[in-house]
Amino acid sequence: MYKPGLTIWYNVKSFERSVKYFTEGLGFSLDFKDEDQGIAIVTTNTKDCCIGFAESETVVPVTSSAVFEVEDIDLAFSELKKKGIQFTGDIEVIPGFVKLATFQDPDGHSFELSQTIVD
Amino acid sequence: MNLEEAIQHTQQLSGRWIMPILLHLKSSGGRFTPLQKQLQISPSRLSDNFSRLVSKQIVKRLSPYERRHPLLPEYELTEYGELLFVITQCLQKAEETIEAGPLHRKSWTWPLMISLYHDYTRFQSLQRLLGNPSPRILSMRLNELCDLKLVKKEITEQPSLRYTYQLEDRLYPIVDMLWGELLKIEIIQ
Repeated sequence: MYKPGLTIWYNVKSFERSVKYFTEGLGFSLDFKDEDQGIAIVTTNTKDCCIGFAESETVVPVTSSAVFEVEDIDLAFSELKKKGIQFTGDIEVIPGFVKLATFQDPDGHSFELSQTIVD
Repeated sequence: MNLEEAIQHTQQLSGRWIMPILLHLKSSGGRFTPLQKQLQISPSRLSDNFSRLVSKQIVKRLSPYERRHPLLPEYELTEYGELLFVITQCLQKAEETIEAGPLHRKSWTWPLMISLYHDYTRFQSLQRLLGNPSPRILSMRLNELCDLKLVKKEITEQPSLRYTYQLEDRLYPIVDMLWGELLKIEIIQ
Protein backbone atom coordinates (compact mmCIF):
# COMPACT_ATOMS: atom_id res chain seq x y z
CA MET A 1 0.00 0.00 0.00
CA TYR A 2 2.69 2.48 0.97
CA LYS A 3 5.76 3.40 -0.98
CA PRO A 4 8.94 4.87 0.48
CA GLY A 5 8.56 8.56 1.16
CA LEU A 6 7.74 10.91 3.97
CA THR A 7 7.21 14.66 3.81
CA ILE A 8 6.51 16.83 6.79
CA TRP A 9 4.95 20.20 5.96
CA TYR A 10 5.24 23.33 8.05
CA ASN A 11 3.66 26.75 7.91
CA VAL A 12 6.41 29.35 7.92
CA LYS A 13 6.65 33.13 7.80
CA SER A 14 9.31 33.16 5.08
CA PHE A 15 10.11 30.12 2.99
CA GLU A 16 13.44 31.68 1.95
CA ARG A 17 14.50 32.08 5.57
CA SER A 18 13.51 28.46 6.24
CA VAL A 19 15.37 27.18 3.18
CA LYS A 20 18.50 29.05 4.28
CA TYR A 21 18.21 27.63 7.79
CA PHE A 22 17.71 24.04 6.65
CA THR A 23 20.31 24.07 3.88
CA GLU A 24 23.09 26.34 5.14
CA GLY A 25 22.41 25.65 8.83
CA LEU A 26 21.46 21.99 8.97
CA GLY A 27 23.12 20.91 5.74
CA PHE A 28 20.12 19.53 3.88
CA SER A 29 19.59 20.14 0.18
CA LEU A 30 17.01 22.23 -1.60
CA ASP A 31 14.74 20.06 -3.70
CA PHE A 32 12.17 22.52 -5.00
CA LYS A 33 10.98 26.05 -4.55
CA ASP A 34 8.24 28.22 -6.02
CA GLU A 35 8.53 31.90 -5.18
CA ASP A 36 5.08 32.83 -6.47
CA GLN A 37 3.48 30.18 -4.30
CA GLY A 38 5.83 30.78 -1.37
CA ILE A 39 6.64 27.10 -1.01
CA ALA A 40 9.80 24.98 -0.89
CA ILE A 41 10.89 21.44 -0.15
CA VAL A 42 14.24 20.32 1.22
CA THR A 43 15.47 16.76 1.19
CA THR A 44 16.90 15.49 4.46
CA ASN A 45 19.82 13.12 4.86
CA THR A 46 17.33 10.24 4.74
CA LYS A 47 16.27 9.17 1.25
CA ASP A 48 12.71 10.17 0.32
CA CYS A 49 12.25 12.01 3.59
CA CYS A 50 11.57 15.69 2.94
CA ILE A 51 10.46 18.80 4.72
CA GLY A 52 8.04 21.17 3.02
CA PHE A 53 7.52 24.82 3.85
CA ALA A 54 4.54 26.92 2.87
CA GLU A 55 4.33 30.59 3.74
CA SER A 56 1.36 31.48 5.82
CA GLU A 57 0.06 34.71 7.31
CA THR A 58 -0.38 33.02 10.67
CA VAL A 59 2.16 30.55 11.98
CA VAL A 60 1.61 28.45 15.07
CA PRO A 61 4.80 26.67 16.15
CA VAL A 62 4.54 22.90 16.14
CA THR A 63 5.71 21.37 19.39
CA SER A 64 5.84 17.73 18.26
CA SER A 65 9.37 17.12 17.07
CA ALA A 66 10.71 15.79 13.82
CA VAL A 67 13.77 13.88 14.96
CA PHE A 68 16.97 13.48 12.95
CA GLU A 69 19.15 10.50 13.80
CA VAL A 70 22.86 11.21 14.18
CA GLU A 71 25.90 8.99 14.69
CA ASP A 72 27.55 11.15 17.34
CA ILE A 73 25.31 13.69 19.02
CA ASP A 74 28.15 15.52 20.79
CA LEU A 75 29.92 16.11 17.50
CA ALA A 76 26.72 17.09 15.67
CA PHE A 77 25.73 19.40 18.55
CA SER A 78 29.00 21.35 18.39
CA GLU A 79 29.17 21.39 14.57
CA LEU A 80 25.64 22.71 14.19
CA LYS A 81 26.17 25.28 16.94
CA LYS A 82 29.06 26.65 14.90
CA LYS A 83 26.66 27.02 11.97
CA GLY A 84 24.28 29.11 14.06
CA ILE A 85 21.77 26.50 15.17
CA GLN A 86 20.57 27.49 18.62
CA PHE A 87 19.74 24.53 20.84
CA THR A 88 17.27 24.59 23.68
CA GLY A 89 19.49 23.63 26.59
CA ASP A 90 22.10 20.89 26.60
CA ILE A 91 22.04 17.31 25.39
CA GLU A 92 19.53 15.31 27.40
CA VAL A 93 19.89 11.63 28.11
CA ILE A 94 17.08 9.13 28.45
CA PRO A 95 19.04 6.29 30.08
CA GLY A 96 19.26 3.10 28.07
CA PHE A 97 17.37 4.66 25.19
CA VAL A 98 18.55 7.87 23.49
CA LYS A 99 20.47 11.10 23.78
CA LEU A 100 18.51 14.13 22.53
CA ALA A 101 19.31 17.69 21.55
CA THR A 102 16.37 20.00 20.89
CA PHE A 103 16.33 23.08 18.70
CA GLN A 104 13.75 25.33 17.11
CA ASP A 105 13.69 26.65 13.59
CA PRO A 106 13.16 30.40 12.90
CA ASP A 107 9.38 29.94 13.22
CA GLY A 108 9.63 28.13 16.53
CA HIS A 109 8.88 24.64 15.21
CA SER A 110 10.60 22.02 17.34
CA PHE A 111 13.19 19.60 16.00
CA GLU A 112 15.58 17.19 17.63
CA LEU A 113 18.82 15.36 17.06
CA SER A 114 18.83 11.85 18.42
CA GLN A 115 21.55 9.29 19.05
CA THR A 116 20.46 5.83 20.01
CA ILE A 117 22.28 4.55 23.05
CA VAL A 118 23.81 1.18 22.35
CA ASP A 119 24.67 -0.84 25.47
CA MET B 1 -31.93 41.61 -6.10
CA ASN B 2 -33.69 44.92 -5.71
CA LEU B 3 -32.23 48.38 -6.22
CA GLU B 4 -31.42 48.97 -2.53
CA GLU B 5 -29.58 45.64 -2.32
CA ALA B 6 -27.63 46.39 -5.50
CA ILE B 7 -26.59 49.76 -4.07
CA GLN B 8 -25.54 48.18 -0.80
CA HIS B 9 -23.53 45.38 -2.44
CA THR B 10 -21.79 47.54 -5.03
CA GLN B 11 -20.87 50.08 -2.34
CA GLN B 12 -19.46 47.21 -0.28
CA LEU B 13 -17.17 46.39 -3.22
CA SER B 14 -15.79 49.90 -3.61
CA GLY B 15 -12.15 50.51 -2.85
CA ARG B 16 -8.75 49.78 -4.32
CA TRP B 17 -8.39 46.16 -3.27
CA ILE B 18 -11.74 44.53 -2.42
CA MET B 19 -12.66 43.51 -5.96
CA PRO B 20 -9.14 42.30 -6.92
CA ILE B 21 -8.96 40.23 -3.73
CA LEU B 22 -12.34 38.62 -4.34
CA LEU B 23 -11.53 37.98 -7.99
CA HIS B 24 -8.19 36.31 -7.28
CA LEU B 25 -8.80 34.58 -3.95
CA LYS B 26 -9.81 31.27 -5.49
CA SER B 27 -7.13 31.22 -8.19
CA SER B 28 -4.48 31.78 -5.50
CA GLY B 29 -5.73 28.74 -3.63
CA GLY B 30 -6.99 30.96 -0.81
CA ARG B 31 -3.42 31.37 0.41
CA PHE B 32 -1.95 34.68 1.52
CA THR B 33 1.45 34.62 -0.22
CA PRO B 34 0.32 33.62 -3.74
CA LEU B 35 -2.43 36.25 -3.58
CA GLN B 36 0.00 38.89 -2.34
CA LYS B 37 2.42 38.11 -5.19
CA GLN B 38 -0.41 38.04 -7.74
CA LEU B 39 -1.81 41.41 -6.70
CA GLN B 40 1.58 43.03 -6.02
CA ILE B 41 0.21 44.35 -2.74
CA SER B 42 2.22 44.84 0.43
CA PRO B 43 1.70 42.12 3.07
CA SER B 44 0.48 44.60 5.69
CA ARG B 45 -2.04 46.14 3.31
CA LEU B 46 -3.34 42.72 2.27
CA SER B 47 -3.55 41.74 5.90
CA ASP B 48 -5.56 44.90 6.72
CA ASN B 49 -7.90 44.26 3.82
CA PHE B 50 -8.44 40.68 4.92
CA SER B 51 -9.25 41.86 8.44
CA ARG B 52 -11.88 44.20 7.03
CA LEU B 53 -13.32 41.43 4.82
CA VAL B 54 -13.46 39.08 7.79
CA SER B 55 -15.19 41.68 9.98
CA LYS B 56 -17.77 42.23 7.24
CA GLN B 57 -18.26 38.44 6.99
CA ILE B 58 -17.28 38.42 3.32
CA VAL B 59 -14.32 36.14 3.90
CA LYS B 60 -13.62 33.52 6.54
CA ARG B 61 -10.14 33.20 8.04
CA LEU B 62 -9.20 29.57 8.68
CA SER B 63 -7.07 29.11 11.77
CA PRO B 64 -3.91 26.99 11.56
CA TYR B 65 -5.84 24.36 13.52
CA GLU B 66 -8.64 24.26 10.95
CA ARG B 67 -6.24 23.84 8.03
CA ARG B 68 -5.26 20.23 7.53
CA HIS B 69 -2.26 21.07 5.37
CA PRO B 70 -0.10 24.19 4.94
CA LEU B 71 -0.98 24.25 1.24
CA LEU B 72 -4.72 24.43 1.91
CA PRO B 73 -6.57 27.79 1.94
CA GLU B 74 -6.03 30.30 4.71
CA TYR B 75 -9.07 32.26 3.59
CA GLU B 76 -12.31 31.29 1.89
CA LEU B 77 -15.40 33.17 0.75
CA THR B 78 -18.45 33.06 2.96
CA GLU B 79 -21.90 32.65 1.40
CA TYR B 80 -22.13 36.45 1.29
CA GLY B 81 -18.62 36.56 -0.18
CA GLU B 82 -19.70 34.17 -2.94
CA LEU B 83 -22.57 36.52 -3.77
CA LEU B 84 -20.20 39.50 -3.89
CA PHE B 85 -17.78 37.47 -6.02
CA VAL B 86 -20.47 37.01 -8.68
CA ILE B 87 -21.35 40.72 -8.52
CA THR B 88 -17.65 41.53 -8.81
CA GLN B 89 -17.42 39.53 -12.02
CA CYS B 90 -20.39 41.47 -13.44
CA LEU B 91 -18.88 44.84 -12.46
CA GLN B 92 -15.51 43.90 -13.91
CA LYS B 93 -17.10 42.95 -17.21
CA ALA B 94 -19.02 46.25 -17.28
CA GLU B 95 -15.86 48.24 -16.46
CA GLU B 96 -13.99 46.54 -19.29
CA THR B 97 -16.76 47.50 -21.69
CA ILE B 98 -16.94 51.09 -20.43
CA GLU B 99 -13.16 51.52 -20.81
CA ALA B 100 -12.90 54.30 -18.23
CA GLY B 101 -10.63 52.50 -15.81
CA PRO B 102 -11.37 50.78 -12.52
CA LEU B 103 -14.53 52.64 -11.51
CA HIS B 104 -14.96 50.47 -8.40
CA ARG B 105 -11.98 52.11 -6.72
CA LYS B 106 -13.96 55.14 -5.64
CA SER B 107 -16.86 54.85 -3.24
CA TRP B 108 -20.35 55.56 -4.52
CA THR B 109 -19.40 55.40 -8.20
CA TRP B 110 -21.27 52.19 -8.99
CA PRO B 111 -24.18 52.90 -6.65
CA LEU B 112 -24.56 56.26 -8.40
CA MET B 113 -24.49 54.78 -11.89
CA ILE B 114 -27.06 52.14 -10.96
CA SER B 115 -29.26 54.78 -9.34
CA LEU B 116 -29.05 57.02 -12.41
CA TYR B 117 -30.01 54.04 -14.55
CA HIS B 118 -33.12 53.75 -12.38
CA ASP B 119 -34.07 57.37 -13.15
CA TYR B 120 -32.98 58.95 -9.91
CA THR B 121 -31.82 62.09 -11.61
CA ARG B 122 -31.84 64.78 -8.93
CA PHE B 123 -29.14 65.35 -6.36
CA GLN B 124 -31.46 65.14 -3.33
CA SER B 125 -33.19 62.00 -4.57
CA LEU B 126 -29.84 60.35 -5.20
CA GLN B 127 -28.61 61.35 -1.78
CA ARG B 128 -31.71 59.92 -0.08
CA LEU B 129 -31.56 56.68 -2.07
CA LEU B 130 -27.89 56.14 -1.21
CA GLY B 131 -28.50 56.56 2.50
CA ASN B 132 -27.39 60.15 2.86
CA PRO B 133 -23.69 60.23 2.04
CA SER B 134 -22.22 63.70 2.55
CA PRO B 135 -23.20 66.22 -0.15
CA ARG B 136 -19.53 66.97 -0.69
CA ILE B 137 -18.55 63.39 -1.59
CA LEU B 138 -21.65 62.91 -3.71
CA SER B 139 -21.04 66.11 -5.61
CA MET B 140 -17.39 65.19 -6.11
CA ARG B 141 -18.30 61.76 -7.52
CA LEU B 142 -20.93 63.18 -9.85
CA ASN B 143 -18.48 65.76 -11.16
CA GLU B 144 -15.86 63.04 -11.71
CA LEU B 145 -18.38 60.96 -13.63
CA CYS B 146 -19.22 64.03 -15.72
CA ASP B 147 -15.50 64.62 -16.38
CA LEU B 148 -15.20 60.99 -17.51
CA LYS B 149 -18.14 61.61 -19.84
CA LEU B 150 -20.13 58.84 -18.21
CA VAL B 151 -22.76 61.16 -16.79
CA LYS B 152 -24.25 64.38 -18.14
CA LYS B 153 -25.43 67.26 -16.00
CA GLU B 154 -28.32 69.26 -17.36
CA ILE B 155 -30.20 72.34 -16.27
CA THR B 156 -33.95 72.37 -16.51
CA GLU B 157 -35.84 75.59 -16.09
CA GLN B 158 -39.38 74.30 -15.57
CA PRO B 159 -41.02 74.22 -13.11
CA SER B 160 -38.01 75.79 -11.40
CA LEU B 161 -34.31 75.98 -12.12
CA ARG B 162 -32.66 72.69 -11.18
CA TYR B 163 -29.84 70.38 -12.15
CA THR B 164 -30.46 66.82 -13.21
CA TYR B 165 -27.99 64.04 -13.84
CA GLN B 166 -28.27 61.31 -16.43
CA LEU B 167 -26.13 58.50 -17.73
CA GLU B 168 -24.55 59.28 -21.07
CA ASP B 169 -26.32 57.47 -23.89
CA ARG B 170 -23.48 55.05 -24.50
CA LEU B 171 -23.67 53.90 -20.86
CA TYR B 172 -27.32 52.86 -20.92
CA PRO B 173 -26.95 49.53 -22.76
CA ILE B 174 -23.93 48.62 -20.62
CA VAL B 175 -25.64 49.35 -17.31
CA ASP B 176 -28.80 47.77 -18.67
CA MET B 177 -26.86 44.55 -19.32
CA LEU B 178 -25.24 44.79 -15.87
CA TRP B 179 -28.64 45.22 -14.24
CA GLY B 180 -29.96 42.20 -16.12
CA GLU B 181 -27.06 40.15 -14.79
CA LEU B 182 -27.57 41.41 -11.24
CA LEU B 183 -31.23 40.41 -11.44
CA LYS B 184 -30.21 36.91 -12.56
CA ILE B 185 -27.97 36.53 -9.49
CA GLU B 186 -31.07 36.63 -7.31
CA ILE B 187 -32.52 33.71 -9.27
CA ILE B 188 -29.26 31.72 -8.91
CA GLN B 189 -29.08 32.44 -5.18
